[in-house]
Amino acid sequence: MLDLDMAPYAAFVWPAWGVSALVLAALTVRAVIASRKWKRELERLEKDQSATSDAAVSLRPQAAQSAIGPLK
Amino acid sequence: MFGLSNPQRFMRFTGPLTPVLWTAAAVLLAVGTWLSFTVPADYQQGDTVRIMFVHVPAASLGLGAYAALGVSSFFALVFRHALADAAARAAALPGAAFTALALFTGSLWGQPMWGTWWVWDARLTSVLVLFLFYLGYMALRASIDDEQKGARAAAVLGLVGLINLPIVKFSVDWWNTLHQPASFLTPGASGLDPVYLPPFLTMLAAYGVLFAALWLTAIRTEIRRRRVLTLRARKALEA
Repeated sequence: MLDLDMAPYAAFVWPAWGVSALVLAALTVRAVIASRKWKRELERLEKDQSATSDAAVSLRPQAAQSAIGPLK
Repeated sequence: MFGLSNPQRFMRFTGPLTPVLWTAAAVLLAVGTWLSFTVPADYQQGDTVRIMFVHVPAASLGLGAYAALGVSSFFALVFRHALADAAARAAALPGAAFTALALFTGSLWGQPMWGTWWVWDARLTSVLVLFLFYLGYMALRASIDDEQKGARAAAVLGLVGLINLPIVKFSVDWWNTLHQPASFLTPGASGLDPVYLPPFLTMLAAYGVLFAALWLTAIRTEIRRRRVLTLRARKALEA
């Protein structure tokens, strides 16, 4: 049976649980936000990099392209 | 195990594992909280016994996270392994938070039971020193502009702090302290009433799995951050 009446110790039990919940939630939110931020940034940079290398390949002279063989 | 020291392999292996850990932590925390408020109040401590279910796991993880930080620092120093350094860095913030929670909830438990918020006894003081080691580690890393130099200096501090772990653990046996001796992990029988074991063990598991989820996520984030910095530097060189 759920017992939420902490009297006469409510002033000690609830802050202990409340602050614990807040800190764990803050750690979780911070970890998820940082993870998403760097994941997005890495994806953007890798996309830029592959676009740049594709553009460099298309600018190669025909002779050079045939010399290095089929492109992947 | 050592195959995971390759960052790419680590990312592949931990990719599917991380959401499983987050889900398990959420379920364990929910069940543990429910169990914590359904057990009867202690005949001596009353409802303050429920503080134990958040205090002891926080203290255990504060110690455990520092062990992870210290061992990772050792590998980072000796083998100069970037992933070990990322692991040490990733353990610092959650470890500091768990230790701060242990101090805070312990104080809230101490006041009604001992009649004081704080005493300079061996257990409380050594846990405060542990918290200061965490702060020092993070401050040292942040204060040196050269990331590699900062990482090495912090790793040395991280290793030195390992000395404090047995002092925290055995302080209640080596000195006369107001803090009670270990009651759960006592050889022979547990000093804890069996009725409190289900919420206690569930919350301990919940905190452990939550730390694993936080740690792995932070290591993965650190690997990505370093890759971004490398790509940015390469781009700047090409420009």
